[in-house]
Amino acid sequence: MLNYIVRRFLIMIPTLLITSALIFTVMQLPPSDYFETYVAEMQAQGERADLSRIEFLRKEYGFDRPVVERYFKWIWGFVRGDFGYSFEYDMPVRDVVGERLALTMLVSFCTIILTWVIAFPIGIYSATRQYSWGDYGLTFIGLIGIAVPHFLLALVVMYFANIWFGISIGGLMDPVYFNKPMSWDKFNSILAHLWIPVLIIGAGGTGSMIRRIRANLLDELQKQYVVTAKAKGLSPRKTLFKYPLRMSLNFFISDIGDVLPAIVSGAELTAVVLSLQTTGPLLLRALQSQDMYLAGSFLMFLACLTVLGVLISDIALALLDPRIRLSGGSTK
Amino acid sequence: MKASLSVLSLALIFAASLSVSPVGAAEESPLLAPEVQAGKLPAMRDRLPQVPRVINLGEMGREPGRYGGTMRMLMGDQRDIRMMTIYGYARLVVFDDKGELRPDILEGVDVSEGRIFTLKLRPGHKWSDGKPFTSEDFRYCWQDVINNKRLSPGGPVGALLSNEKPPKFEVIDATTVRYTWDTPNPAFLPALAGAQPLPIAMPAHYLKQFHEKHADAAALGAAVKAAKVRDWGALHERRARHYRPENPDLPVLDPWRNRTAPPAELFAFERNPYFHRVDERGNQLPYVDRVTMSLGSTSLVPAKVSSGDADLQARYIRFDNYTFLKEAEKRQKYTVRLWPRGEGAWIALLPNLNTTDAAWRDLFRDVRVRRGLSVGINRRDINNVIFFGLAKESANTVLPESTLFERRYATAWAQHDEALANKLLDEAGLNKRDFDGIRLLPDGRRAEITIDSAGESGEEIDVLELVGYQWYKIGIRMFTRSAQRDVFRRRINAGQTVMSVWQGIDNGTPGPDMDPAALAPSSIAQFQWPLWGQYVESSGKDGEKPALPEALELVDLHAKWRRSATHEERLELWRRILSINADQVFTIGIVNSTLQPVVISNRLRNVPDKAIYSFEPGAFFGAQMPDTFWFADGTPGH
Repeated sequence: MLNYIVRRFLIMIPTLLITSALIFTVMQLPPSDYFETYVAEMQAQGERADLSRIEFLRKEYGFDRPVVERYFKWIWGFVRGDFGYSFEYDMPVRDVVGERLALTMLVSFCTIILTWVIAFPIGIYSATRQYSWGDYGLTFIGLIGIAVPHFLLALVVMYFANIWFGISIGGLMDPVYFNKPMSWDKFNSILAHLWIPVLIIGAGGTGSMIRRIRANLLDELQKQYVVTAKAKGLSPRKTLFKYPLRMSLNFFISDIGDVLPAIVSGAELTAVVLSLQTTGPLLLRALQSQDMYLAGSFLMFLACLTVLGVLISDIALALLDPRIRLSGGSTK
Repeated sequence: MKASLSVLSLALIFAASLSVSPVGAAEESPLLAPEVQAGKLPAMRDRLPQVPRVINLGEMGREPGRYGGTMRMLMGDQRDIRMMTIYGYARLVVFDDKGELRPDILEGVDVSEGRIFTLKLRPGHKWSDGKPFTSEDFRYCWQDVINNKRLSPGGPVGALLSNEKPPKFEVIDATTVRYTWDTPNPAFLPALAGAQPLPIAMPAHYLKQFHEKHADAAALGAAVKAAKVRDWGALHERRARHYRPENPDLPVLDPWRNRTAPPAELFAFERNPYFHRVDERGNQLPYVDRVTMSLGSTSLVPAKVSSGDADLQARYIRFDNYTFLKEAEKRQKYTVRLWPRGEGAWIALLPNLNTTDAAWRDLFRDVRVRRGLSVGINRRDINNVIFFGLAKESANTVLPESTLFERRYATAWAQHDEALANKLLDEAGLNKRDFDGIRLLPDGRRAEITIDSAGESGEEIDVLELVGYQWYKIGIRMFTRSAQRDVFRRRINAGQTVMSVWQGIDNGTPGPDMDPAALAPSSIAQFQWPLWGQYVESSGKDGEKPALPEALELVDLHAKWRRSATHEERLELWRRILSINADQVFTIGIVNSTLQPVVISNRLRNVPDKAIYSFEPGAFFGAQMPDTFWFADGTPGH
């Protein structure tokens, strides 16, 4: 097992190197760079932007160096925890992202918990009472959650939340509390705003989670050991929870790999529509304006989390299910 | 009667709420009063310059107001906080609401021979940190910044050059400086008054700590390290940036100064206790204590405004939001006004005279084709269908509000006349047609024009659709193609674009003293002749020499304007430039004076019902002096 973990760790290094090279290459692909985008934007309003100034800025930020040199400089900095410099914010990437990370984690964490809390009972109910009215009804609602685009839902909910409850549109708190230290009122304001993004972002996830729990559980329920358990007189509750449910959870464990990056990012478009102070809009904006170190470092950060998440879920899966451990053949 | 009543009730409010000194006497802002009483801040008369700029609100038809309140605005991202510098519009000299130059931060400017500029500061004027504002701040900016190899590798640029030579700079005394050029420099004062001003003074006492020449090497080294920047130059650059006021420590001369260090979601600006303007009663401006800008998705701005989240908002609101905003007017206690926009054309088609497509290039260089395409457009239909008839059908030229306006500029080749269009195009050699009536180019291709668009507004696409339909009738097929703004610009400069759609001239309400650069080849950013513009901009090093005699004449007239010494001379040059542009149709303007919704809280007073909304020369709200706006109840907007 230890051997397996060490090997997996070693494989992570080339994986991440290739990812970083890919990210950097893609960022370099557009013919223009941040400074040109910036000038185009200034001119759109009639503002002057001196072209000699652009050359100056390019030098200032090391854009006159060869691409390869800049790549190694960036990746070497990344390893040491220096994520580079954001042109748009004119400050180190770490400071730009740091601020938003806490709120993002709060939203994502609440969303994930909500998804589980709703999806598990409904999924189990639907599987055990397959083709009942309850199953149809709940499945229908779940499918709506999957089918309606989040951003559309967000707009509608936001509008009515404002008209009916007077909740300010967008954001994670009332604008009064921006930049203020945490207080009871600020906390309340966050709670009052939090339910909208959590509900909306959670809607789609909940729907698909219900479907997966239902499908996996249905598979297990038809197996012979369930029949045996029933025949031996095990109570229906125990029959369900002790064996088939546990067996059907494999997919859930392997999902943990996706959860890790989703906690620090995720639901970018919805976050833009809702004007959340999370990392999603930041990443999107950085990509649009070609603020390449901000975008690149952030994507790289997500890549690291994904790789780590996959590792964690693989190990957890191996621990949980002996069948996977043996068939993997990597431990002896 | 009504006005006097409200003045009276105002006086009552004052007497009731402050009741210290007699009505009409100068008052301390309640925000600053505690600090003044505690002795942390000098009294108002000691903070003001000896001769403050008196704004006579009564004469402007406005009411003197009261202190207090927070003016809330919505912005997109952090870069947008430069709007505060624009809206604040405190400049050495300013354009007033009639477009005339007048001293603002300066007490006076003396110009002789159009080339010797003596700037007189207000004695006793102070930066927002209370340190004196003197000629040393000009010297520092000129010698240690503009002429420093590290900070400005190119040396003085733009309006600081006349006939490509920099001025001689002299300090006369502590409050007088002089800039002397060999030749007249009419661009100098307008550049100082620009919405994006030319900086010629910086707070030397503050910035010296970041300057290699003045700072202690060890301390500066540590500061560079702490800020994680490359060298002292980069640090100075960041700390000194005034246009985008990200540094809360930078002393300023603006009505409000930033109090928030980025990154932040809400930038709060607080009144500058040393601001140099007073109202007629001697009360220091601005009236409003704080301005806040909260950042968020720009697409949400109309929705947020309709939920009462802004007290004064025009940015990120468009005409098609009007009815939506109007609907919430009563509920949220605001009023939506419609201000005409100040561009020469809200939507203009720009044939690229430098396109690499040789057939189209030759055709576009034939004035008959440009005129034909222009009269082939039915502007009235476009105005009625897309702008509810509220815009003005016009060529791309100055607006009636400009002193330079003449009707013929707006109407030249802007009528709809299919017969004339057909005649002009036939004469230009497009007389052969394909089976479906589309004309054939001299090289045998079908006359199909692809118009590049930056694809930012639905309006643009709607207008193009109508134009395409109208051109189809004169045998021209039109397609559109949208691209991201920077790709759009690149394609034009590389000549890949045959024709683009953009706005007309930015400044539709110029006076003769403003630079006519937009109407003559002068910059690579001019989409109708990018290479010619580049040629002029780089003094012949890059780009292409203008190939049309009319374009060359424009270059010449513009150069003459840059050397002109008198107002009359400039007026004459402007007239010439405008008639050439009207006659030659280098750009095809469609409509102008489109309407910009401006949402104004009902509690906010002194905001005009109607004014031109433009970046240059109006600085958006700047020319309307937001420092004279005030809240009827003086309480924060929550």
